[in-house]
Amino acid sequence: MFLFSGQQLTKLSPVDVLILVLYFALVVFIGFYAKGKANTSEDFFLAGREMTAWIAGLSFVSANLGSLELMGWAGSAYQYGILAAHWYWIGAIPAMLFLGIVMMPFYYISKTHSVPGYLHLRFGEGARALSAVSFALMTILMSGVNMYAMAVVMQTILGWNITFSIWVGAGTVALYVMLGGLRSAIINEVLQFVLIWAGAAMIPILGLIEAGGWTKLKAQIAVNVGSSDYTHMWTTLGHFSSNPMGVHWTGIVFGLGFVISFGYWTTDFLVVQRVLSANNLRAAKMAPVIGAAFKMAVPFIVIVPGLLALAVLKNADGSTMHLVASNIAKGNPGLHSYDEVLPLMLIRYCGPGLLGLGITALVAGFMSGMAGNVSAFSTVWTYDIYGAFINKRASDSHYVAMGRWSTVIGMLVSIMTAYLVMNANSIMDYVQALFSFFIAPLFGTVILGMMWKRASHAGGFWGLLAGTASSIGMFLWVQTDSSALRYIAMSPDAKPMAENLYRALWSWVICVVVTVVVSLVTKPVPRAELAGLVYGVTPIPDDGATSIWQKPIFWACVVITIFFVLNLIFW
Amino acid sequence: MAEQQEISIWFFCGILMLAYGVVLVATGLTEIHHPPPTVLAELQPTLWWGVLLSLFGGFYTIRFRPGKG
Repeated sequence: MFLFSGQQLTKLSPVDVLILVLYFALVVFIGFYAKGKANTSEDFFLAGREMTAWIAGLSFVSANLGSLELMGWAGSAYQYGILAAHWYWIGAIPAMLFLGIVMMPFYYISKTHSVPGYLHLRFGEGARALSAVSFALMTILMSGVNMYAMAVVMQTILGWNITFSIWVGAGTVALYVMLGGLRSAIINEVLQFVLIWAGAAMIPILGLIEAGGWTKLKAQIAVNVGSSDYTHMWTTLGHFSSNPMGVHWTGIVFGLGFVISFGYWTTDFLVVQRVLSANNLRAAKMAPVIGAAFKMAVPFIVIVPGLLALAVLKNADGSTMHLVASNIAKGNPGLHSYDEVLPLMLIRYCGPGLLGLGITALVAGFMSGMAGNVSAFSTVWTYDIYGAFINKRASDSHYVAMGRWSTVIGMLVSIMTAYLVMNANSIMDYVQALFSFFIAPLFGTVILGMMWKRASHAGGFWGLLAGTASSIGMFLWVQTDSSALRYIAMSPDAKPMAENLYRALWSWVICVVVTVVVSLVTKPVPRAELAGLVYGVTPIPDDGATSIWQKPIFWACVVITIFFVLNLIFW
Repeated sequence: MAEQQEISIWFFCGILMLAYGVVLVATGLTEIHHPPPTVLAELQPTLWWGVLLSLFGGFYTIRFRPGKG
């Protein structure tokens, strides 16, 4: 049996298979359709810079809405309660709005094709090389991790063979990205966003009906877990030991809300690339604002199912089901892991047809995650590594061909990574940790580059290097001596989740301090070279808004007001 | 997207949701007398969700159909 292996949670009916097949057929069609419009490098790598604000905005938020993320945070909501929603609200919204209103004009008018490309313009070749190589390596490894995760999920839910899932998923993604480039990836991301809502929204709707509404749900959770801490976002954050996550509000506000969130949403090229495809400056500013509005709604389909599971999931004998950590669930057929909460809720409410839609949404999320990684990889490889250091004078068509080839080769490396992870599971944790090493310091470098004229080339390079090295150093310190966590998080009660928040905060601080000190003792960049790159030397062109309804700043104010109201409601 | 003769992204979304809506409505109708063994199956979620997706998908398919200009 090539297709099926092992035990499974459920099986697909013919109508579910039909829904899945329809999705694959459309995705491949889109790849061939977009191929005819991917002739120049601008077309292939930046979708011709002709996307509207809505398309760029949905693609921007969708690139981050992979299934690994959906299932992981639904599991976290079960494990830690509503605190998990911080990663969607304070951990995203302010940063997305900051990108749109403050940073996007610089990315957009500098006409850069990538974040390493901006570093090249602002800080020279050293910072670009460091950022491009680390980003290319990480995206391709992350794509492999994503691929493996998809295969495991399909094996767990449907009993599909891991090799079958890896090759079908990777083959389809490689085909449509290679053919249509970023345009193809963006069309599929928008499609995936709609599909995820279509496939997942029934879970919270039916769950809330079963639980009897939000108030009764909160009461039931308090009875089942013996605490009301699981449904409050801020009141339990006064001390590390007073909440299920073991974090403090300073870590959430400064570590997550400032450094990690701003680092990810404003400097990770995977998401920024989507906004760079916008067709004008106003669209580029509006896209992250639109993305933020939709991002605020995502906890409804991710966090609410996790909370519902705490109240309604039952064993066959009617007793409350208790999910456990994946290492405990492994090898115990009667137990389910936290990460299985979304599939378990899907199976609880969705019969034939709806189940197929939910599974298709998960598959689409995984494929979209892979496509995001591989399209960003091929851009950075072609522009910032191959075009910058290996072959500087090739023709435009040569770079497009290189983009297509690097997509295929990148996907093959990802497949190898997936098999590597399959044989040594701990690699998965390291790869995910590696990604966080680069993001926080990169935000320090980019924000100083945009806001401070005095930041020099040497300052940018050494600051980025010092921040990254310190992040790796702290990670290794905690790996070899777990008691080191108390120093990094500044509390003996801190739990592992706090390490990520404080490690990011410290590495950002180190990056900023080193950049400032080195800049002050090295030669400043001539003012003429900073035009279009730095605040204060760059006249920001008018974005063409003629009424208040067209102004991105107005909509950003609306979104941030709703953000504060939501935090107060769930305080 | 700027060029003429181009198929809108919203059309792709619409046609897929319309197809799914039709499949779900058909499935939902067959389940009226034989509900699946899921929680709250008596509310006919497949049928109603199918109707909603058909309306949503139908609107986008017509509104953004190729050649409409």
